[in-house]
Amino acid sequence: MSFLLPCPNCGDRSVNEFRFGGEVVSRPTPDASAEAWSSYFYFRPNVAGEQREWWNHRYGCRRWFYALRDTTSNEIQATYWPGEQSPATTS
Amino acid sequence: MPSSEIHRRSRIDPRPAEAIDRSAPVEFGFDGRRILGFKGDTVASALYADGTRVFSRSFKYHRPRGLLCCSGNCPNCLVTVADEPNVRACTRPIEPGLEVRSQNSWPSLGFDLISLLDRLHWLMPVGFYYKALHSPKLLWLLARQLIRRVGGLGSIDINAHHEHQYSTRNLHADVAVVGGGPAGISAAMVAASQGAQVVLIDDQPALGGHLRYSSQEVTAATGSEPKPAAQVAGELGDAVAQIPNIDLLCGATAFGLYQDNLLAVLTEDGVVRIRARHVVLATGAQESPLLFDNNDLPGVMLSSAARRLISLYSIRPGKRAIVATETEEGYQAALDLLDAGIAVAAVVDASETTSDEVVQTVRSRGIEVLTGHRVVKAEGRGRVKAALVAPVGGSGSGSTRKIRCDVLCMSGTRNPVDALLHQMGASQEGVTLAGQINGATGLLEILGQGRGAGLHAAGSVAVPPGNPVQTCQTTESTIYLPPGVGGRTYVCYCEDVSAHDIEQAIDEGFADVQTLKRYTTVTMGPCQGKMCGRALAEICASHSGSAFGIGGGDTRTTFRPPYQPVTLAALAGRERMPFKRTALDRVHRDLGARMVESGPWLRPHSYGSPADECAAVRERVGIIDVGTLGKLEVVGDDSGQLLDRLYTHRFSDLPVGRIRYGLMTSDNGVILDDGTVTRLAEDRYFVTTTSGNADVIEEWFNWGNAGGNNCAHVVNVTAGYGAVNVAGPRARETLAKLTDVDLSPRAFRYMRSAQGEVAGVPCLLLRIGFVGEAGWEVHFPAEYGEHIWNSIAEAGREFGIAPFGLEAQRILRLEKGHVIVGQDTDAVSTPMDVGSDWAVRFDKPDFIGRGGLAVATERGLQQQLVGFIMPGAVAPDDGTPVLSGARPVGRVTSARLSPTMGRGFGLAWVPPYLAVEGETIEVLVADRPVSARVTLEPVYDPEGHRLRS
Repeated sequence: MSFLLPCPNCGDRSVNEFRFGGEVVSRPTPDASAEAWSSYFYFRPNVAGEQREWWNHRYGCRRWFYALRDTTSNEIQATYWPGEQSPATTS
Repeated sequence: MPSSEIHRRSRIDPRPAEAIDRSAPVEFGFDGRRILGFKGDTVASALYADGTRVFSRSFKYHRPRGLLCCSGNCPNCLVTVADEPNVRACTRPIEPGLEVRSQNSWPSLGFDLISLLDRLHWLMPVGFYYKALHSPKLLWLLARQLIRRVGGLGSIDINAHHEHQYSTRNLHADVAVVGGGPAGISAAMVAASQGAQVVLIDDQPALGGHLRYSSQEVTAATGSEPKPAAQVAGELGDAVAQIPNIDLLCGATAFGLYQDNLLAVLTEDGVVRIRARHVVLATGAQESPLLFDNNDLPGVMLSSAARRLISLYSIRPGKRAIVATETEEGYQAALDLLDAGIAVAAVVDASETTSDEVVQTVRSRGIEVLTGHRVVKAEGRGRVKAALVAPVGGSGSGSTRKIRCDVLCMSGTRNPVDALLHQMGASQEGVTLAGQINGATGLLEILGQGRGAGLHAAGSVAVPPGNPVQTCQTTESTIYLPPGVGGRTYVCYCEDVSAHDIEQAIDEGFADVQTLKRYTTVTMGPCQGKMCGRALAEICASHSGSAFGIGGGDTRTTFRPPYQPVTLAALAGRERMPFKRTALDRVHRDLGARMVESGPWLRPHSYGSPADECAAVRERVGIIDVGTLGKLEVVGDDSGQLLDRLYTHRFSDLPVGRIRYGLMTSDNGVILDDGTVTRLAEDRYFVTTTSGNADVIEEWFNWGNAGGNNCAHVVNVTAGYGAVNVAGPRARETLAKLTDVDLSPRAFRYMRSAQGEVAGVPCLLLRIGFVGEAGWEVHFPAEYGEHIWNSIAEAGREFGIAPFGLEAQRILRLEKGHVIVGQDTDAVSTPMDVGSDWAVRFDKPDFIGRGGLAVATERGLQQQLVGFIMPGAVAPDDGTPVLSGARPVGRVTSARLSPTMGRGFGLAWVPPYLAVEGETIEVLVADRPVSARVTLEPVYDPEGHRLRS
C-alpha cells in the first residue's frame, strides 16, 4: 500500500502517515439487543468498492476524518470532517 | 610479484574511461586462493582478469556458467561473499580481505559431480516432479532428499554475525529519474534547471549508461565534433555533480514503483522510499541473448558484457571472438574488440538489411561479415571453442560452417527495460519515458527525449516534446527463433529451462504465458525475466494460430516488485524511530541506572538492587521518574460529558480537587487503558494514561470527540510535564520541607489533588498510591525536572531516600494487586474479569463499552484475574501456564519474589471455579509443577491503611 491520502487539513500525504480507523458503522442504541451489539462488534460489510472509513492523520495534524475509498483500487473519492456532508456525488 | 606483473597477461593498456585505479592493488580471497585486483574492480572483473571463466553452476543441471551480462542482470555470477549468499560478482566491488566463495557445486566449481545430472537431463523434462517419483511412496521420500540437497541457490549461514546495519530512509522529490544514462541525465538536468528538486537513481557505480562501455565516437550535440562515448559519459556525469538540486543515488536499484509514484530503491545502506510528484523512466534497453544450442557455455556472453570488460576494466575477454548479432550494435562491438587487440573471426549477422556502410566499415578492418547467417550451436566442453554457423532459413547440414573462437558475443535486439512501468498496472499517471525504453536509438534522439521528459516532469510543458508514444519493439521471429528447438538451447539461465521445455509445456496444454510460467518456472529465477523475457515472448508468439494468440493472449508475464532480488535484511532495515527520553534522563545515567526499553521510552530498570529499592519505599521513602505517564488535559464545558462517554466510570460529578481511577474499554468491553482523572477546575480535567499509550489514547479521545459539537478540547501535555512519584512512610516529611502545601493526613487525603509550589516550581500534586504507600505524584513543567529531582533527593537524604526503578515499582504494585494494562490484561479482558466492577457505572445513559459489558455481564465470567502465593522463595516466569489436575487452565501474567514476604507471588488468569480464596493451583517453576495458593486480596496492606496514612 503506498497511495496518497488527502488529509482535509494537511493535503496529500503518504498513507503511512495515517492510522486506519476502520469502516464507519452506526452504533446501536444502549438498549439494543445482544444480537445487535454482537453484529456491531464483529461483523463488517467489507465491500469491494467504495467505502466510508475513519482515518487519523497520526504523524500530521492528528485529526480524524472520513475518507471515501474504493477498496479495490485505493482511489480516494473524497475526504471530509465528521459532521460535514459528504462532498462526493456517488450513487 | 608486483601486481602489474600478475595482470600483464590479461589487462590491456589503460582505456580512456577505465574504472580501475592501477595504483591501488586490492587482495581478496576466492575459494581459498588469493586474488589480486585493483580498486574499482568488481569481484567478477578481478576474477576474469585472473583467468577464471567458470563463475557458477546452474540451478538444475549444474552446468558450468561464465559471465553473461556483466551488469547485475543475469544469474551467472552468483557467489557467496563473506556470509551473504547469492551476491552478483559483477556488481560487488572488491575490498581488501573479502572472502568470496563459489556456490552450488560439489566438490568444487571446476569439477562438480552433481553436473552428472546434465547427462540425465532427458530423465528430468519440464515439470517432471509433477509427473514422476510419486509411487512407490518411498521413492518420493528418497527423491525429495536428493532434490533438497542439490536444489536451491546458495546457503545461509545461520550462525553468521551480521555487522552490516540497514536503515530505511524516506525522500521526497519533485522529479525522480530512474536510469543514469544519457536520457536520464538530460532529463534530470533539465528538470533541475526548471527549479525542480530531482533525485537521479542509477544501478551502476557511475553515470553514463551504455556510453560508459563504448569506445566509439558519438556526437552529443548537433553540429559538434564527435567524441569518444566514454568521454561524453564522464562529462555528463561531472555536469550532474555540479547541480545542487540533483540528489544522486549511484549503485542504487529502483526495484519497485508503487501507487502514486512511490519508488522503492535499494542502496548499500538499505531501502530508500522516494515519493515523487513525477517519475521519469530512462531505464534504457537490455541486449537480449540469442537462441542456439549451448548458448550458456562459458565464453558466450552479451556483446555489452565484453565491451564492459574492455572499457571499464581494461580486460581482454579472449583472444579470438565471434560476434553474433541481429543489429548494428554487433558491428560496433566487433570494432571495440578489434581496437582492444582481440582477433574477430567473424560477425554473424542474422539480418540481411544491415546498411552497406556499416558492413563495409567492419569489412575494411579485415573482419569477415556473414549477413543472413546465424549461430546454430556453440561447441566446447566447459568453455566455448567454436561456433557452428549456418544461413538463416537454411536446413542442409552442408551449408554449416565451423568457426573457432574463445569468446562468442551475442547481440540480440535491445528490449525496453520497462518492468517498473508495468508494475504499476493500468495507472501510469505522472510517469514519463525517455530514451531507449521509449524507442529512441541515436544519441541525439535519446538526449532530446530526455530534455523533453525533464521539462514535462518539472511541470514546464504539458506534453513532453518529441516524445512519441512508446512503441513496442517488433522483432522478426524468423531470424531470432532457431530452426529446430534443441534441449540445450537455454531460454532461462536461472532455472535451466530450454526452448524445448517451453514448446513441450505448450504442447501439454499450458497455452497461456501465466500458466506456462508456473509450470516451467521460466522467469521465476533471480533474473526475474530479464534474460528470458524476449525469448519466452517470441516462442509464445510463434505459436499464434495454435494455442497462443487465439484469444489475443499476452506473451509477457505479470511484472511485480521487486525488479531485482532484495535481501530480507534490507527490507527489515530499522525505521528511524528515536527513543523517547524523559526530562530526567541525565539524572538516571549519572546514577548508573540500567535503562530498558518500555514502549517508546527508555526507562530506568533499577539503580542496583530492586529488592533494596523496594525496602527503601516500604521502610523509608523512594522516588521514581513517572514522566513517561501519558498526560492529557481536557478543557471545556463539556469535558465531563466527554470523559463520561469514554470511561466506564463517571467524572461529570467529580468534585474539583478530587481524583478518581478510570478504566477505559473498547465498545465491546475490552480494557484499553487505565489511569487517574483529576478535576482541576469546573471545566478542566487532568488525565493520566499508561506509559507509552499516550498517543493512542489521545487519538481515542479525539475519535470520541470527533464530529460532535462538544465544547471539549483534548491537549496532549505528555512532553510538557515531567513527573515523579515520592512514596513511603517518610514521603510526607520529605516533601513538606519543599512546599507550603499542607500535606497533613487530614488536609491532604488520599485521592485528592492540590496545586502549589515545590522547591519554588509550580506543581500539581496528586495523592495516589500505585506502590501502596502514602505518596504523591508531583507533576511539574518538564524543564524543571533535574531541579525538582535534586531538591527532593536532597530533602529526603536525612530520611534515607532512594531512587527506585521500573522493576521495584512492578514488585511493589504487584504486592498491592494493582493491574498493569497490557501486562496483566489481554485482548479479551473486561473490567469484571479483573475485579473492577466498581469502576463500571451502568447508571450512565451511554458510554463506550456499555453494549459489550452488558453482553459480557449476561454471559457471566469466563476467566478471572487472581493473586497467588508460592510456598517458598520461588516464582514462575511471566506467561507460563497455570495447571489444575495436570491440565493447563490459565496463565501467569506477572510473578516476582516479594521482598516483604520472602516468597514468590503473582497474578494469574484462572477459570472462575478456581477464583476462590485459599484454592490450590499449580504453576511451573523450572518446568516442574509447584502448588500455589489463590488469594483474592492484595498480599500487602489489604485494608490500605498505609496508603491512606
